Amino acid sequence: MANNSDNFKSMKASRTAYSVLVYVVVIFFAILAIIPFWYMFMNATWDSFSIQTGIKLWPNFGNMHQLIDNWTGLTSRSTFSFAIGFKNSVIISVSATILTVYFSAMTAYGLKAYQFKGQKTLFAIIVGVMMVPTAVNITGFYKLMDAMNLLGTKWPLILPAIGAPSTVFFIKQYLDSSFSMEIVEASRIDGAGEFFTFNRICLPIMIPAIATQAIFSFLGSWNNFFAPSVLLSKTENKTLPLMVAQLNGDRFTDYGGIYTGLSASIIPVIIVYIFLQRYIISGVAAGGVKE
Amino acid sequence: MARTTNNTTKHKGVSYSRFGYFFIAPFVIAYSIFSLFPLLTTFWYSISDMGSLTAEFWGFGNKEVYYDRYLDLDAQEVDLSAAGVNPDDYDLIRAFFKIQDQTDKIDPTEEEGMQAIIDNGANDYISQDTINKIQQCIDDKSMVPLYSDDGTAVAELTAFHENYSDATQDAVSQLSAINSTLTGIVDTATSDAEAAAEATEETETVTGETILASDDYTEFVASLDSLELEDPNTQLVIDYLTTYTGASSLKAYFESVESVEDPMFYYVVSRLVTPNAYMADGTEIAGIDVPFASDVETYLTDNSWSDTINGNTSYSQLASYASGEIDISEDQGTLSADLQALNDAGIISVVALTEQNGALAASEDASNNIVKALADIAAAGPRTDAEVNASKADIHISSLIQYDKNIADKMSDIKAATGKSALDYITFDGDFDVDKYIEFKTIVGLNDTMTMDWYNELDQTVKEQNTEKYTQALADAQEQLADPDLSDLKKASLEGTVMSATAYLEDPTGILAKVDKTSMYLVNGLDNFASIFGQETRFHKVLGAFISTAVMWVIGFIPQILLALLLSAWFTDTKIHLKGLGLMKGLMYLPNVITAATIAIFFGRLFTYSTGGAQSVAQIVLHAFGHESYNFFASTTAKRCIVAFINFWMWYGNTMIVFIAGITSINESLYEAAQVDGANTSQTYLQITLPLLRPIMLYTMVTSLIGGLQMYDIPANLFPKVNPTFKIGNTSVGGIDTILMYINTQAFKVQQVGVASAVAVILFIVTTILSILIFYLMRDKDASKAKKLAKKGGVK
Repeated sequence: MANNSDNFKSMKASRTAYSVLVYVVVIFFAILAIIPFWYMFMNATWDSFSIQTGIKLWPNFGNMHQLIDNWTGLTSRSTFSFAIGFKNSVIISVSATILTVYFSAMTAYGLKAYQFKGQKTLFAIIVGVMMVPTAVNITGFYKLMDAMNLLGTKWPLILPAIGAPSTVFFIKQYLDSSFSMEIVEASRIDGAGEFFTFNRICLPIMIPAIATQAIFSFLGSWNNFFAPSVLLSKTENKTLPLMVAQLNGDRFTDYGGIYTGLSASIIPVIIVYIFLQRYIISGVAAGGVKE
Repeated sequence: MARTTNNTTKHKGVSYSRFGYFFIAPFVIAYSIFSLFPLLTTFWYSISDMGSLTAEFWGFGNKEVYYDRYLDLDAQEVDLSAAGVNPDDYDLIRAFFKIQDQTDKIDPTEEEGMQAIIDNGANDYISQDTINKIQQCIDDKSMVPLYSDDGTAVAELTAFHENYSDATQDAVSQLSAINSTLTGIVDTATSDAEAAAEATEETETVTGETILASDDYTEFVASLDSLELEDPNTQLVIDYLTTYTGASSLKAYFESVESVEDPMFYYVVSRLVTPNAYMADGTEIAGIDVPFASDVETYLTDNSWSDTINGNTSYSQLASYASGEIDISEDQGTLSADLQALNDAGIISVVALTEQNGALAASEDASNNIVKALADIAAAGPRTDAEVNASKADIHISSLIQYDKNIADKMSDIKAATGKSALDYITFDGDFDVDKYIEFKTIVGLNDTMTMDWYNELDQTVKEQNTEKYTQALADAQEQLADPDLSDLKKASLEGTVMSATAYLEDPTGILAKVDKTSMYLVNGLDNFASIFGQETRFHKVLGAFISTAVMWVIGFIPQILLALLLSAWFTDTKIHLKGLGLMKGLMYLPNVITAATIAIFFGRLFTYSTGGAQSVAQIVLHAFGHESYNFFASTTAKRCIVAFINFWMWYGNTMIVFIAGITSINESLYEAAQVDGANTSQTYLQITLPLLRPIMLYTMVTSLIGGLQMYDIPANLFPKVNPTFKIGNTSVGGIDTILMYINTQAFKVQQVGVASAVAVILFIVTTILSILIFYLMRDKDASKAKKLAKKGGVK
């Protein structure tokens, strides 16, 4: 009995030690995940000299005006305009997101609600092309955009969003698990047209799946770098990531300005993330588990 | 009632299935246009003759414009009059493109430079009127306003430049010269390294020992006693170098040399070859013939020069100093020390020699001596913003003057012939405007003449002429070869003629092929692939890109999946019952949603290396642990590890969340059963969790692999971009070039669209194979077995 109790105690002690270890490791990685961003934000408030002579993990309380100086120094450069980059990124990402989710929902619904010839083959193809690396067609895409006279415009980054196989796939998965055809039939009996049924009745039902996909589509479009870097060359067309890449010239030694620019470019994403974090994480979890 | 009837008819007559096509149509159409069609054309480009496609590819809707620009018919000795084009008119076309080329090269409307002139304001030389014109130039992004008068504006700018003198300005122009010298050296080093990769085994590599052991060396040293000098003043150089080396004679110095890597050795040799010395009256002192000099240069170019230059703090910024982008006075100390080091190493010459009292000495003249100029800048102390700006303005003015000088006579030719200003039709934003050019071509009167048909016809004519010429030459040569009394030399020369004529007749080419070839466009069929697998250098680059991509992916992915497994096991362990799971997930996933380009630039800054006062985080940490500064950019392994770490750091949160979802979806009863059977935690994990998690791990692996093979944002943005003329920038990025970076460079920088497409196709094939492989591994074995049995009719 006494022996048992000792055993129990030591087990308990070792379990506590184990828990402590686990907490230490987990907290370490949680801090590791955010410390670079913290450092980036803090540096935005310091001048180049201080940044280059020490690690600044606290704001420049002594001279908070430095942040404004950094910002004015940054925006006075002809190659970096936060406003233009932000505007272009918003236009492209929002339009692309709307097109992606609407047309993907439409396609997924079409595949779910109708039995037509080639339906299964089409779905198999959609799953197949999800695996095609998106960047391999870049030379063909560039040439096509050139032929269509769309180079230097935002259209090449918006229009392809209509055909997004992975979004179709995930919305279709959602429809398969939680959509009943009865509601469609009921609506038909009431005399509603097919597109009316889709837009007014089925689309609202799909909102949870659409919302998740909208977030991912938006982030993907917002963070996209390769295609815009190939397609957009003029400053007035550039998206935010391209503007940020402009900061990376070695002739640009204003470190305070660089960190201010980097911070500014990620703040919109961080704000979106703080509000939608729960949905994003459940979306990631749902995307990974294939049933 | 009517409604019911309506419904009934609908049910009878309408099959809903056709609506399916309407619903999927937008997706299918958009996907076909924007993804499938480009994919197919990419395949097509990979096996096509991009020589003819390139003109269109580069935005020339009118292909003849491409030939107008790049095919100089005068240089090809084409008889233009016979082809129906007035040679004088054609000269105007050439003049136009000379102006366009200068515009692209100099970029006269460059905003920062122009703005500097405006900020500098009107002064004794430049009138307010000219300033207004320059403002107009910026607004219009065109040089037309500045040239809208009879040259007053340019004359004013020239007057300013001639009267403007500033120690910084002198230093800047010297730096500009040094910049091009260094760029030249590094270019040579790069191309030499490439050539060395291609070199066959027969080529002997130059080593330090072979130079000192060479006959040339021994002979030259022996001849120093009895050297007959073409220029008597060269003796001054020899005397100077004797004093400089501290040896009793130059011969004694050369005999005592043990290693050619000694910087003084190259300094002495290079001063002998190009003494860069002047007599008091300004006459240049000639160099002497040093037979092994080029070997020394080759050797140093391959070895120590690049290292010396790379070790220089200010080298990568030299272009910025030279163009006035960074004020020299900011970093005068480092720059001065670096230049001194380069000078001592004999790589550049910042100290010119002049004759003083019959002996050579280092020049005291500031315009010849950059170190002295820098010292002056330092002595003068920090400059005011206005001074800095004036200097910037003058830099741009000097390029405007250069621009004017280069285009002036072309402009007046065009003005005389057409009465119009060529600048109205020139494109200033670097994005060649075909329409403007066509307008010009119409004014010249050649638009209807010099069409693609005309070019094709000309091509055909030249081809026929050449064929005739070569057929004749071949016949003549063969006839002469029949003569048995031919001397060996004559015979060899005739055989050469036969060979070249036969080669031409087998594959006759006209004039169009000239530009296609000079632009190095690859032609037709599987040549693109053949060049990838057949050309050793290219193969190494493509393979290198695949390897570095794969290596960076693997060293990032292994810790990523291991950490994700560990964390997901902890987070789902009911015994530990971690608190704050949601928060932790939220924090660990955060890096994944942030723009990769931003993250890459940020990490790049953390690892910057500088021998000057500036310190990056990585260097500060190294110092704190008592280590020396380390140049992470110089080591391929370090660079790859940084990229891999960023990938790991961005993605482990994602993988972890996926694994947690996978583990929680495992049926609880399995764990209960295991517990009843007395399995401990690790047994349960190894026997139940891991096997059931396997499909998810494989899925993670495939998606990560497909993403990893397309790695671009991080390696492309990690290191500061340098001026494109700086090859050193590219070499410093070496080792983390990914497949996509290679495709991007080939397609959009060096215009090898065919090669780029071929590499894309290879990437596509590799990805497809890997995906199929993983799909095969992921398939549900039990389900497919059941299916097979059902087919056989064994079950149900």
